[in-house]
Amino acid sequence: MGEKWNAAFTVILLSAVILIFTAADFAREDRTFSETENRVLASRPKFSAEALLKGSYTEDYETYVTDQFVGRDRWIDLKTRLELFFLKREIGGVYLGKDGYLLEQHLPEQYSEETVEKKLVLLDKLVNDWNARVMLVPTADNILTDKMPANAPYFRQDTFLEQVRERVGSQHYVDVFSALEAHRDQEIYYRTDHHWTSLGAYYGYLAWAEAAGEQPWNYDTGAMKLASDDFQGTLQAKINTEWERESIYYFGETEEMPVKVTYDLRNTTDTLYEAGHLETKNKYGFFLDDNHALVEIETGNSTGKTLFVIKDSYANCLVPLLLPHYDRICLLDLRYYNGRLYPLLEQYAAGGDVLVLYNCIHFLEDFVYI
Amino acid sequence: MVFSSVIFLFRFLPVFFILYYAAPGRMKNFILFLGSLFFYAWGEPVYVLLMLFSTVTDYFHGRMIERFRGTGKAKIFLVSSVIVNLAVLCFFKYADFLVQTVNSLLGTQIPLLGLGLPIGISFYTFQTMSYTIDVYRGEARVQRNLLDFGVFVAMFPQLIAGPIVKYRDVEERLKNRRADICTVSRGMKRFCVGLAKKVLVANVTGELWTAVSGMNPGGLSAMMAWLGIFAYAFQIYFDFSGYSDMAIGLGQMLGFRFPENFNYPYISASVTEFWRRWHISLGSWFREYVYIPLGGNRKGLPRQLVNILIVWTLTGIWHGAGWNFLLWGLWFGVFLSLEKLFFGRVLAALPRAVGILYNSFLVLMGWVLFALEKPEHILGYLRAMFGGNGLADSRALFLGREYIVPMLIAVVAATPLFAAWAKRLETSRWGVGAALYRLGEKVIPVAFLILSVACIVDASYNPFLYFRF
Repeated sequence: MGEKWNAAFTVILLSAVILIFTAADFAREDRTFSETENRVLASRPKFSAEALLKGSYTEDYETYVTDQFVGRDRWIDLKTRLELFFLKREIGGVYLGKDGYLLEQHLPEQYSEETVEKKLVLLDKLVNDWNARVMLVPTADNILTDKMPANAPYFRQDTFLEQVRERVGSQHYVDVFSALEAHRDQEIYYRTDHHWTSLGAYYGYLAWAEAAGEQPWNYDTGAMKLASDDFQGTLQAKINTEWERESIYYFGETEEMPVKVTYDLRNTTDTLYEAGHLETKNKYGFFLDDNHALVEIETGNSTGKTLFVIKDSYANCLVPLLLPHYDRICLLDLRYYNGRLYPLLEQYAAGGDVLVLYNCIHFLEDFVYI
Repeated sequence: MVFSSVIFLFRFLPVFFILYYAAPGRMKNFILFLGSLFFYAWGEPVYVLLMLFSTVTDYFHGRMIERFRGTGKAKIFLVSSVIVNLAVLCFFKYADFLVQTVNSLLGTQIPLLGLGLPIGISFYTFQTMSYTIDVYRGEARVQRNLLDFGVFVAMFPQLIAGPIVKYRDVEERLKNRRADICTVSRGMKRFCVGLAKKVLVANVTGELWTAVSGMNPGGLSAMMAWLGIFAYAFQIYFDFSGYSDMAIGLGQMLGFRFPENFNYPYISASVTEFWRRWHISLGSWFREYVYIPLGGNRKGLPRQLVNILIVWTLTGIWHGAGWNFLLWGLWFGVFLSLEKLFFGRVLAALPRAVGILYNSFLVLMGWVLFALEKPEHILGYLRAMFGGNGLADSRALFLGREYIVPMLIAVVAATPLFAAWAKRLETSRWGVGAALYRLGEKVIPVAFLILSVACIVDASYNPFLYFRF
């Protein structure tokens, strides 16, 4: 092969790479939403002379072209593989732990003393106003420390929770940390998702029962029911490369208990479990139909007691276990509720129990009390 | 528009080159000029007018210098050209810095202008100045064709981050150039290598520097501080030299030959050598248009040292309007002077490894001045490097382990090792070696291109360091 032919071959090869992807990109259609990234993709920006002169038009246009670029998911998968080749153990805010565990990264500097103090003041006020119980669940990085990459930094939730206990008083505090730590060798957290499993929630429930002086219901951890064996959670979505699939279990006993569930004052159903979510990427939504601002559960018991839970999604797989203890349980997710909390509590929680149930991180990020 | 973006690689690049290669000879400059304006206006829709103003002004000055050649008026037009260029540069780049300095020295309250720095202004004003100076000196012929001159100034490959091309380097080819298939092929490969240097090495080591520089310098362990500054050294080198490679490669695809800008600077054994290998086109610009006109080394040693310090003060503030950049320039000026005086002879007598250590140390200290702008951060960082806050911590161990592979790749890629291997294969008489070379020279650029695109699509993290200059 002569020098010229060799050069021509290189030119053709590299031009082909550029031209093929360019052509393919012109041939594809715009997507509005990325299932794998769980976000709305940028759409074609509207042209205006003003936006052009400000420079925002071209900027938006670039975001649009990059977001919509042909084979976006595969490119991102390739990037993850490159990082694996670089032997990285943290990709996009997710630690690649031992035994196939993906653990969400929470750096100590993300949660300053001021943030913690601000939240504690609000929490203390709520506890005093409503005689509430506080149940803050540590995230996986704090319990499965033996699965974490060596020397990986994480926000220490044991010290944070000690502050919480001191502030609200032991009689209002549920020690989930110790309960989970005692069972750290079991499947208490998902490997591909940032939630705890139903088993983890069960140990949380036992800690709650002890703190509340309730007799725990006799759930059988050996007879849990399988909801899905095909689950890849939020953390897998973040690194966006194929990972081992895992199972979602739940306590079948809770399915036998009669309930009337009302979502956001509108839709009523007779189950805590929405099997429709098991057909989607977001399978954890199986528990209590994913996220709603307000959920009301009537149990048909006659204990004479009610419960109001201010919560995040960690609560969704624990709340079913609380059914036998109450006549009525209300759940409020502050992220989806725009009003003030105080009047709502006056309306729904007067005379009943109040529980603050979050994982530590969501609590620090989302909790407010006004 | 930056080279490492989807919009450049899969919109501008194919459309531009199809039009460019399809166009007949005389139309090529027209396409190149329009394409370059579009390229620049994409990022600077307003300041593109400033660049056009600069182009027309220097075109006019060149014509006037030619017209009044031999008379005093020619000199007036030369001075006027230099003043206009420097005024534009100073106004947009240094006005606020001067106002701030005056305010803090005199306690005045003069308001800041708050103008954004036009991309590439430091590069194109230096290019146009070289033109009028060369025309005045008779080292370049005047350009009568406004379009050809516009191409020289606005040409998109080196417009925003160099290399700084002197007019006489491209004079011939503005009118008359041919891109044969071998040159185009070399240019394409060079572009892919530059893209990979930027996206696969500079951006990744840059992540490590971002992590370290985001922490309070008062709490950094020595290991963390050294890790950070090494990461920065690799980031800035691979970022800038990668950009130059892409520019040179694109130039070859157009039929131009731009000067080389980097020659493995980190293997230098003295500061003098470092500056012959780092940002070569800037160093040679200052040598030719400042140092030598000031008398260079021909007017005695004291005058030479003064000249060196002047050049290095200017080099420092060329990189940015800030005291730290001035200090950074002087830092090198001082050691260059010492090496001129006697230290160069001492170094030459020592083993090369000692010289490399000495130079690396000075360059890394220099990057601390360069990368951190506030004096308290610089001092805090230096303190941390020398163990003021302990030797190591678990965070540093973690980050060191996270970035070990990219950092090792960067170390090797900063030496001529890969190039030497390629050369040995290429010239090998052993048939398998040559065949391997022919395979590698195709597979590697394709792999670089594809991996880079993966990072570009994935990344929100894609800043170009040299846009500030």
